[in-house]
Amino acid sequence: MQRARIFLTGVGGQGTLTATTLLARTALDAGLPVTSGEIHGMAQRGGVVESTLLIGGYKSAVIAPGEADTLLGFELLETLRALPMLRRGGRVVGNAEALQPVGVCLGRECYPPLEAVLETARGYAAGVTMVPAISLAEKAGTAKAANMVLLGAAAACGALPFDLDALARSVEKYLKPKIVALNRKALELGAAAAQAGQAA
Amino acid sequence: MGKELLTAPAGETLLLLGNEAIARGALEGGVRFVTCYPGTPSSEVPDTFFRLSQGAPYYFEYSVNEKVALEVAGGATLAGLPSLVTMKHVGVNVAADPLMTLAYVSAPGGLVLLSADDPGCHSSQNEQDNRIYARLGGLPCFEPATAQECKDMARDALLLSRTLETPVMLRTTTRVNHVRGPVTLGAVPESIEEKPFVKNPPKYVPLPASARNMHVRLLDVLEKARQAAEDSPYNTERGQGEVGFVASGAARNYLSDVLADDGLEGTVRVLELGQASPLPEDRIAAFLAKCRTVVIVEELEPVLETEIRALAQKRGIAVTIVGKGENLPRRGEYATPNVRAAVRAALGRQTAPVETLSVPADLPKRPPNLCAGCPHRAAYYAVRQVYGDNAVYSSDIGCYTLGFLPPFKAADFLLCMGSSISTGAGFARASGKPVVAFIGDSTFFHSGITGLIDAVAYDHDLLVVILDNRTTAMTGHQPNPGVDTTIFGENPNPVDLLALIRACGIEPVKVNPLNHKAMVAALENLAGRHGPRVLVAEYPCPIHARRVGKAKKTPPARVAGDPAACLAVRDNLACPAFAMEGDVFTINAEQCDGCMYCVQLSADIKPGKKEA
Ligand code: SF4
Repeated sequence: MQRARIFLTGVGGQGTLTATTLLARTALDAGLPVTSGEIHGMAQRGGVVESTLLIGGYKSAVIAPGEADTLLGFELLETLRALPMLRRGGRVVGNAEALQPVGVCLGRECYPPLEAVLETARGYAAGVTMVPAISLAEKAGTAKAANMVLLGAAAACGALPFDLDALARSVEKYLKPKIVALNRKALELGAAAAQAGQAA
Repeated sequence: MGKELLTAPAGETLLLLGNEAIARGALEGGVRFVTCYPGTPSSEVPDTFFRLSQGAPYYFEYSVNEKVALEVAGGATLAGLPSLVTMKHVGVNVAADPLMTLAYVSAPGGLVLLSADDPGCHSSQNEQDNRIYARLGGLPCFEPATAQECKDMARDALLLSRTLETPVMLRTTTRVNHVRGPVTLGAVPESIEEKPFVKNPPKYVPLPASARNMHVRLLDVLEKARQAAEDSPYNTERGQGEVGFVASGAARNYLSDVLADDGLEGTVRVLELGQASPLPEDRIAAFLAKCRTVVIVEELEPVLETEIRALAQKRGIAVTIVGKGENLPRRGEYATPNVRAAVRAALGRQTAPVETLSVPADLPKRPPNLCAGCPHRAAYYAVRQVYGDNAVYSSDIGCYTLGFLPPFKAADFLLCMGSSISTGAGFARASGKPVVAFIGDSTFFHSGITGLIDAVAYDHDLLVVILDNRTTAMTGHQPNPGVDTTIFGENPNPVDLLALIRACGIEPVKVNPLNHKAMVAALENLAGRHGPRVLVAEYPCPIHARRVGKAKKTPPARVAGDPAACLAVRDNLACPAFAMEGDVFTINAEQCDGCMYCVQLSADIKPGKKEA
């Protein structure tokens, strides 16, 4: 396995950090050296949450602009905002659905369309996969599982250094028994959507 | 992380947050006494100790402020217990008074002060470099860079402190506190050797005559600590060549990654310093002597740079020393791009600009926001309605600082924790303008109360609004002296906030801020008076209330009448549950907390139906 820098971005409450930790544990269980970092000072108050996962022996958990091999975006606008983190030839896996920030709710700002991500990344990224993570998570049982939908999608399109089965094993091992079935379902729905090339 | 942090045996590897690793390291060092004031990025260290505290082998408290935390733990180390005190970098300013004398008085049981610095101001009002405090206060200093080092250095700092009987600083930065990585554990000792206190006033009471001797002793201790740094396993050297790099703290990581990525590992000399204070002079001098050029890579202040320049001069070593400058700024965080530029410049190579995608500059922002149902939002709305732009708003440190943002714009100035009352008082005295000072309950206990005493004593003319949400919400809902309930149940010893204010000489007015009419009436009444006045706006933080199981589930509000008629409420209240569906104003039932505040402001918004 080569080295990989994965940048994750989302909004407070979306389970970005839970997803990051789950990926880190999966990497560790696969015997891969891992370091991870997070910035979440004001996250609980609807702000942006960014985290990083570096696999293969990096020491610093910081990813600088232009360094990410993979960008996992849990929210559409935040995916667009984080595109400068991507290196040429990197991959984007994102949620095609929006959580409106306050300026948009108040009618003061315009939310960018899905096409903005695709257009910006075209010709620079090796691949962009956008899935309707919230809707699919609702299908699995709760919107809260949107983070697992996205991980499933990322594994299915080869944006992670391990496969769907490894993720499913981590869900079994590290999540509360009560929510395992639901989260596994969310993983599968995400993977299926990515394979079907939905919304991309 | 559950109980395993306390119970996992030596040899096991856990995936830990830097802050969790620090807690484990202190346990491995035999810690028996932990005090703190929570503050990002340090908070998960005390939160971990708090969570594990039931039946654990240590005493734990969230102290009223950092000064008190250090003083309480100072007493414990004098009594012989290995102690840990945690705070964020600006907290050390509050604790600075006892800190400057602590090393004179000594720490027989051992005492580690965790200072969590914040280069880049991720969640702080400044980016001061507390390595300077370590030097000023005479504290040996450890600077971890990885989760493993967080654990190991917390342990070794405590052990060194106990051996030398002197306080030691563990200095981290945000990226280190919030790194997550595998940590291989050591053993947690079952018992610690007792060190009973033996009365010896000349040793422990810094009267002028004894303080002079204490300073002599401290300098001797620091010489021993320097010897320890010379031999420290955290100071390592590698590589060959005429160009050398000295790196400390998180900068060590950036340097390592750049050298590995660019295939330069081994072709340059690297001296990594994890234990750099007191300066291991012999070791550094030996390194300098092998180089033609040495680049010092450290975030924030040129602390090592200054010391190493002085060392080279003292020892007569002819070497070019490169420090702060274009590639290595004196502000903000470092990352691989600027360290790479510094490496390449030292090797006389060009740096290609980093290629990145550019995105539109005018994307909607996503500022942090007071939560849906937050009682502070209601308080700000009512104060705005009564005072508008006529009052000057003095703000303080907490969630409610977010009242700074529009539509409330309820923060005109802010200095530090606990400053809103005193700074507001000074501003009112100097300007004659109406002043409203906002302060939270925890912040009031922390250091707001001294400002209130001053306001009473000197009859300063201001309205103090204590936003009492029954918890310390900003840093993660830690209990403060006034809370009713914690995660472990009822608080057995709550401090009565209202009685405390009365004892200062003011009869406070208490209102539920979610009752709009009552709040406006109280504010109008108080606005018409002079001198120091206190309004306590009391309602529990909804997140905290849910967490401790005290919140009743209320159905969400809904727009029942004309959505266009609610737009003023939308714009002036800005609750995050408000949304636009196309051009139509609506309330997002998922986001709404059911606080029923907006319902009081518009006849077109109605309570939702209770689920059958
Ligand atoms: S009731 Fe109104 S103000 Fe309260 S959370 Fe719901 S939408 Fe916001």
